[in-house]
Amino acid sequence: MTGPGRSNNRRTEEQATPRMLVFACKWCGLIGADGAGKKRIPLPASFRVIPVECAALVEPDAVIRALASGISGVAVLGCHLGGCRFNHANHAALKRLELLKTLLDATGIGGKRLLLAFGTAHEDHQYAEVIHAFFAELKTLPSTDPWMY
Amino acid sequence: MSKVAVLLCRCFGAVDGVIDLEALRREAEEDASVVSSTSSDSLCLKEDMEKTAALIRDCGAEKVVIGGCSSLARGDAVIGGLVREGIKCSHIGLVDLREGCAWIHGDDPHVATLKAWNLVQMEIAAMRYRKASDDVTVRVCPEAMIVGAGPAGLSAACTLSRLGFRVHLLERGSSPGGMLNLISHVYPSDEKSGDKTKKYSEEVEKNPLISFYPKAKILSVRGFAGDFKVHISSSEGEKKLRVGAVILASGARVWLPYGLYRYGKLKHVITQMELERQFLRESVPIKTAVFIQCVGARNKDRPYCATMCCPSSLKNAARIRDENPDARVFILHRDIMTPGSVLEAYYRKALAKGVQFIRFQETNSPEILGDERVEGVEVFDIINGMKREIDTDLVVLSTPLVPNDDNAKLAGMLGLELDRYGFFPEIYPLHPLETRMDGVFICGSARWPVSSDQAMMQGEGAAVKAASLLGREAVSALSLSRVPGEKFGHASVRAEACTGCGNCVAVCPFEACRLQNTGRKSVSRVNKLRCKACGNCVSACPNGTIQLPEHDYRAVGAMIKQAFAEERFK
Repeated sequence: MTGPGRSNNRRTEEQATPRMLVFACKWCGLIGADGAGKKRIPLPASFRVIPVECAALVEPDAVIRALASGISGVAVLGCHLGGCRFNHANHAALKRLELLKTLLDATGIGGKRLLLAFGTAHEDHQYAEVIHAFFAELKTLPSTDPWMY
Repeated sequence: MSKVAVLLCRCFGAVDGVIDLEALRREAEEDASVVSSTSSDSLCLKEDMEKTAALIRDCGAEKVVIGGCSSLARGDAVIGGLVREGIKCSHIGLVDLREGCAWIHGDDPHVATLKAWNLVQMEIAAMRYRKASDDVTVRVCPEAMIVGAGPAGLSAACTLSRLGFRVHLLERGSSPGGMLNLISHVYPSDEKSGDKTKKYSEEVEKNPLISFYPKAKILSVRGFAGDFKVHISSSEGEKKLRVGAVILASGARVWLPYGLYRYGKLKHVITQMELERQFLRESVPIKTAVFIQCVGARNKDRPYCATMCCPSSLKNAARIRDENPDARVFILHRDIMTPGSVLEAYYRKALAKGVQFIRFQETNSPEILGDERVEGVEVFDIINGMKREIDTDLVVLSTPLVPNDDNAKLAGMLGLELDRYGFFPEIYPLHPLETRMDGVFICGSARWPVSSDQAMMQGEGAAVKAASLLGREAVSALSLSRVPGEKFGHASVRAEACTGCGNCVAVCPFEACRLQNTGRKSVSRVNKLRCKACGNCVSACPNGTIQLPEHDYRAVGAMIKQAFAEERFK
């Protein structure tokens, strides 16, 4: 992945397919992902889903670690605000991650690299739309892997 | 490094068609921690499950990684099957290769295979750090506390006591009955409300299993499902109770429309409840009456329909016509809400009795004529587009039920949250009458305005739900899950590293964390029965002291590392 041995072609290719990590809440985001799979909605392949019990379980450290390891963007998918099965847990997650966005903006990494989407249970088309839109967004941003250039 | 067995499912070609599972299997075999790597046509069939379990035991693997369909499709069934075969749930990792990879990347098999390999690698790496939460078990105290002795609370108390459980019935007022004490008849049966409560209040008095606490107040609630410690005060003094379940039947209150339709200023503009009080005292023949519906309901402040005001207007209007066949009775409404076969028939009965209905618009509401006393009502009838003047000397306003003022306090004590109107929400739609706090059930108008019949029915329902908890001898923390199977886990604290900052206490949505003074410092403690494993405390903890063993920060880190690991298939 990293290192000097890559051609310019590979670099361009990587820029065109940004890497994306998705933290999907088991009760909404993951159900949306499952529905998108069942409907066979084509999606760009360079994203990986990590299932979490709730969006609140996504530690800010994990987001930063992902960005630091060369992943271009992190999406956190949770339930509708007010529809979390853990009372106000996803409100807390929203506040925490919005704060992290400010931090990312301040450090120049860019808050745009963190996407928060709430409300994707059984909304598989919305899930696909979120993934597609975030990919389009990430394509406009430079790669987070500074060591490769 | 723990030994991992990788099991790949071809799903009779659904996965195999896109992902090159054979290559995946070979790659997995080369991994240092993998002791066995097999692929089969299906994993979810019963006979396959036995074969798979035998295979796992034979190869001496400690952990299992399954690559197949998503947990929602058949993944959970596979895990359940393997658990029944004696493999620990926490030792099984599931990778979604079908819905999450093969089916959405069907156009590019090469990329899909690469992604599948990365996903399997992620799970293998994470399995090293995944551990099982330790479980605790508590004995269930087979007693219940019911808050409120209205129709819902009474029926819940009687049902539970008939099932043989001790019941503590708390009432704010001095006698059982709740709102039924304030009204004369109930709809749709037109029974006297006194008769309706009589058999219940008699049972409350006679049944030795029910203790009734009049003028009761809850001072504090501690504990968890199966073992709540409640401190109450009543007319008999303060008392400490230990109960296994709490049923909330605290009801709602009637909203008084001060400022609307000159209520409170004109003597003969009254609410439905005041009319009921007149009916309770004596029967006054009424010559004319105008009922105005949706007063303070279905508007911007209260955008809900309280569902009981239309039928009670129908009930009282019909009664006025019954007592005085010459009476002129009008119901001014925005919509008559009588859902269901019984209430619709009730509406038609009122119509047949000669009650007149006039529909008005929210923006063009009726006006009351007269300065000193009510002389009439002016209303714009939208059906025929005409302004009508009705001579009347009595205007009855139908107001909705609104939540009790102390709901917030009660919710805070029980660790619940109120909905946007202030009622207690149930877990909609899969778990009616249950709240987000295990062992706390709701029924009647505390949940949503309902008729007395419905409240009684809900009381029975909540009682049966409580009984299914109270009937257990002991309850384990992991079994308090609302989905089939066990709970995901619960947070655990490394006491030696905890600084006692209290962040977890502040963010916990279930009040499961609390600080405990150990002499030198404060340490966070997690109540495993209250914890629902949302992980809010995990991400609020500044030094990673509090963790979910099933979803350790090291596991997440390992997954991130492997997410786009070396692209081998190039």
